[in-house]
This record gives sequence, C-alpha cells and structure tokens, in this order.
Amino acid sequence: MAYVATRGGEKAIEQAERLFRQDLGTIDAARVETIQQTMPYLIDRVMGEASLYSEELAALALAQTGGELSEAVLVLRAWRTTQPRIAIARPVQQDEILTQRRISAAFKDIPGGQILGPTLDYSHRVLATDVLEGKPYAPPAVESAAKPAPATQPSLADWQREQGLLAPTGEAKVAPEDIPDLTREPLLFPASRAHRLQSLARAETGGVLALGYSAMRGYGNAHPTVNELRLGEAEVVVRHPRGTEFSAGRVRVSQAEVTSKEKGGFLDLGFAATFGWNEVKVIAAATLDLNSAEAPVGSPVHEEFYLYHTESVEASGFCIHFKLPHYVTFQSTLDAMRDAKAKKSAAEQKGAVERQTEPAE
Amino acid sequence: MSLSSLTKPWAATSYGFLDASAKRELRRKMLKAIAVPGCQMPYASREVPMARGWGTGGLQVTLTLVNPTSVVKVIDQGADDGVNAASIRRFISRVSGAGETWDTLAASIVQSRHRVPEEVMREDQILVLQVPNPEPLRGVEPNISIARQMHADADYGKLWLTLYEQIVRKGRIMQGAGYPSMVNGRHVMTPSPIPRWDVPKLNMAKHLTFLSAGREKRLFAVPPFTRVEPLVFSDRPYQVEHHADLTCRRSGVSGYFMNELPIDGGGSAFEVSDSNLGIKAIQQAEGAAVEIGKTWYRNGEFSA
Repeated sequence: MAYVATRGGEKAIEQAERLFRQDLGTIDAARVETIQQTMPYLIDRVMGEASLYSEELAALALAQTGGELSEAVLVLRAWRTTQPRIAIARPVQQDEILTQRRISAAFKDIPGGQILGPTLDYSHRVLATDVLEGKPYAPPAVESAAKPAPATQPSLADWQREQGLLAPTGEAKVAPEDIPDLTREPLLFPASRAHRLQSLARAETGGVLALGYSAMRGYGNAHPTVNELRLGEAEVVVRHPRGTEFSAGRVRVSQAEVTSKEKGGFLDLGFAATFGWNEVKVIAAATLDLNSAEAPVGSPVHEEFYLYHTESVEASGFCIHFKLPHYVTFQSTLDAMRDAKAKKSAAEQKGAVERQTEPAE
Repeated sequence: MSLSSLTKPWAATSYGFLDASAKRELRRKMLKAIAVPGCQMPYASREVPMARGWGTGGLQVTLTLVNPTSVVKVIDQGADDGVNAASIRRFISRVSGAGETWDTLAASIVQSRHRVPEEVMREDQILVLQVPNPEPLRGVEPNISIARQMHADADYGKLWLTLYEQIVRKGRIMQGAGYPSMVNGRHVMTPSPIPRWDVPKLNMAKHLTFLSAGREKRLFAVPPFTRVEPLVFSDRPYQVEHHADLTCRRSGVSGYFMNELPIDGGGSAFEVSDSNLGIKAIQQAEGAAVEIGKTWYRNGEFSA
C-alpha cells in the first residue's frame, strides 16, 4: 500500500486551498461593502467580463479571490450560468441612456454637446503620497455648471444617418427572444453580429486592449476616430406577464463607436458596448469590430482570432492548466525521440547507408 | 393545488450542478456525436466551478450522464489520486450523490485525462476523455473555420503530408500522444493526448467513449464497436511506446504503460501508469481477494 501513501493528493489540495484562504482571512459583509464602494471601476471591469451585472456579487467575488481577476470572473460566470433566464430586456437606445459622459473626437461640437463627465483624462497622474503621511486626500467639491446638461443625449450616429454619412439601419427583424445568446450557445464562425458584440462585451480587458492596440498601431487596416464614446446608466426595461413594461433597475454601461474611412459611399462604423464603465475596453473592442470586415484570415483583427483569444475564462484557464502533470504525453514524445535516435545511430554504425537514388540522378 | 405542490423545493443549484437547459443541450449534442462518430459537435459549454482546461468538457459530459446510482472513477495521467482527479471526483459525487471508486471494474463512468485504463472496459461502462484541443488539424490549419471545411471535404492531405515528412526527416512518425485516428472510415479525430499505447483500446471497443473539450466547446464520440484506425502508411506499421518489457518497481507488473522516474546517478525506474492496477497487484500479492480484470495488453502484446 506504500504506493498510495506517497501521493496523498486529496489531502494536499485541501491544505493548499486552506493556505490561500487563510492568507485572505475572514471575509465578511463589511469587506465586501468596502470593495464595492471604493473600487467601482474594478467592479465594473469584473462585471463586464463576467457578463453579470451585480456590484455586490462582483465585490464578493473579488473578496473571496483576493483580487485574482481571472478567478473572480470565473466564479461569477460559474454562478451566472446556473441562473435561469427569466426575461429579455428591451434593447437600449442611445438617446434613452442617462448619460454622464459623452464625447466625440470626430467633431468639435455635436448636437447635445460634448459632456466630459467624470474622467482622469486631463489629470496629472501624481501619486498622492501625502495620504501615507497621515494627510487624507479629500477631493475638492465639484462646482455645478450654470446650466445642467440634459439627462439624455441624442445619438450622433442618428444625425450622421440623416446627413447621409452613415448607411441607414434596417429595422431589426429578430424578435428579442430570438437574438442569439452567447451564454447559451457556442460561438461559431462567421459569427453573427450579436455573438461578436456579446463576445467583445465580455472579453478580457487586457486582451482586447492588446489586440485592439495592435490594430491601431498598424496591424489592422483602419485607424479609429472616436465617433462617440458614452458612459451612462441604462434602464433595464422588461415586460411583466400582464404586458406592462417597467424598469427593473439601472445598469452602468459604456459604449463606443469608432469610424475610419468611407466604404460603399458611407462611413464605416465599429461598435462595442459593455456593462460598467470601461473606456479602454470599448474603444479597443470597437476598433476590432471596425477592422474585422476586411481582415485577412489569421490576422489579429480577424474575428476568429480576436474573439477566441480575448475570452477571459478560456484563456486564463488554459494558461494555468499547463501546471497540471503532463508526464504521459511527455513519456510518449520521449519514446518517439529515443527510438528515432536509436534508429539513426544504428544506421550510422552500419556504415554506408544504402541510399535510394532518384531516377534522375 | 398550490404553487408549492407544483414546484420542487428551492435548491441553490440543480441536481448534478448543470441546469436542465444545459443538460438538454448536451444530451442532444451527445446523441448527435454518437450518430456521426468522430465528428466534432459544437456545444455551449457552460462555465463550471473549475478552470477551463482542467477537465471542464469531460466534467460537463459526466454531469449530464451521472445519476445517483452511478459509480464514478476519475483519473489524471492514469492516477486516481492525482490532485485534479481527486478534485473532480469529489465535485461530481458532491453534486450528484454518485458513488466514487478507484477500481475500473466497479465504475459505471470513467472520466480520464490522457489515459485509457488497462483493464478492458465493458458494454455497461462509459469512458469520458478530457480533451484540451479537439482539432486534429490544428497543427496544419489553426483557423477553425477552414479546418471545419477540411473535415467536411474529408481533406486530410496536409495531415498525411506531415506524417510523411516526419518519416523522411526522422526515419519514423514522431507523433507522441494524441495520435490522429480515422473514426468509422470518415472523420479524423484526435483521441485526446492519450499515449499511442491506448489508441488501439478504442478500436471496436465494447464501451462508449465521449471526448469533450470544454474550453474549445466541442464534443465527439466513439460509439461501441466502431473502427478507430491510427493514420499510418501501409509499409510503416503503427508503433506504440516501447513499454512492453518494462516492469513496475512497486507492483512488479510488466507489459503495461509505465511512468519513467529519473533516478540519482543516471538511469530510470518505472512505475505502472494505471495506478490502481498497480495497487490491486500489490494487494493480490499480499493475499487480498482483489479482482484484476482482463487487460487489453497481455504480456505486452495488444490482444483485444
């Protein structure tokens, strides 16, 4: 029975997990609440990648994984997939979003105006070391504008369509319940538009950034101009069985439209949207969307390439799986290599190898 | 009649973890996979509470097959107590109430990573192989859409060419584990990274084999009594690993696939890879009444 004793896998994994959890200490509601309140952008990123909108659950996932992002996303996705789909929300229209921030780089001014909203874009990125010296940083109060910005903003793309700059959109012919759902069916190629945008919406931020950036730098065929970037809150409008529509709550959303050059008489438009406020992700994702139409197969801007390789849970899981033992596969490779070597040296020892000559020689 | 009499009591998760819609989809795809042996069927591949690449595909199939009367054996690299095998087995039994075993003969479902047990599996057993990469053409065609087309056309020329080039360059086919094999004379599949030693066990086997890749969202099957033929040239016979003459230093069994263990001062020692076969051999030697089933290899020779 010594055979068994030398391994003891079950005990080892139990203790290894305990060690990890012991380092994190007791997780209570207060810790979860602190994370939720102090790290909104981290929560947003996790909610986007998990494709599950719940600030509280995202904070809990971060707490129990100690901020290991891919683990946090996996925990949330695994929970999400067990939940029933009880309703399908009405599509969100741009001019209905409660808009906190909305900018366009394509025009100096746009109908509805450029709304900067909350951003670090123009800040000096200086580490507030004073805080560590015992001087808490209290942000100065925001001075309200004389005239508050309207809660909703028109869609710039709609204006562009009226001007004949963008191709007209056909009326959606698909009933909401028939929109393909990436979480319930596999991604196949060529991907439906719904699948592509859903996949980008829950893609890993860093991955989308890396591939989107490669397109921006020149490995793509389109240099993006931000047509419209919008951060806001959207009502989740669902239908009661009695037929009345009502809002089940609001979700923070980001969306980006990027445009490049003329195609078929109209401006080409790339689009991306995600849960939470995550500007880098939606700009990079919209750039990938913009580039995909003419992307060469196998290039980083081809949809099969970027959708597969920015899938957070799949990519991280496969990467860490290489820690698993692979000694059977290795043994098999070793066997072929040794045999090939033995054959070669046997042939060399025999001296002159009988060469088969080509008929032409 | 009340609502509570019409519904089941609330539970945090469904029986066997996966909800009914996920299982229904999987069952449909599994039946389809049986109907077209070796052909990869795409499926949604829900997230499970385990990282992708760690057996999530095999797990989803097992969770769909399992019921409270099932007895589950899970092995990783041939061993039942490998850390990940232990974790998967514990999870399956926790969410399904199925029994656990290390004994191939006692199992109704065997979920495995990279090995087929040495004892012959029966008609009433199902083998579920975890698959990292379901696409045998990936090495010659990384684009999945093109590879799909190649399967549709039964266009395996590039694969044959790779094998031929290996013979020209190295004097033999260098493919290690996961040897590409023709199923039912139509679809080439990867048998998952099982050693070449194990591929003949799938040919005309009595048991049903599912191969499932969770991360890549593909599953395929080898139904019972289906041909599984490794791709070989008629003048270059299929070669399994040279393990026929090796002896396990712990159990004393020989003629099975072995793990090689480097030893101080050079040289190697060997231990049988099917760890429970080794354990049973030791127990038998100690006089315990343990049954060792008929094995696929006898005296190092394959003889199904």
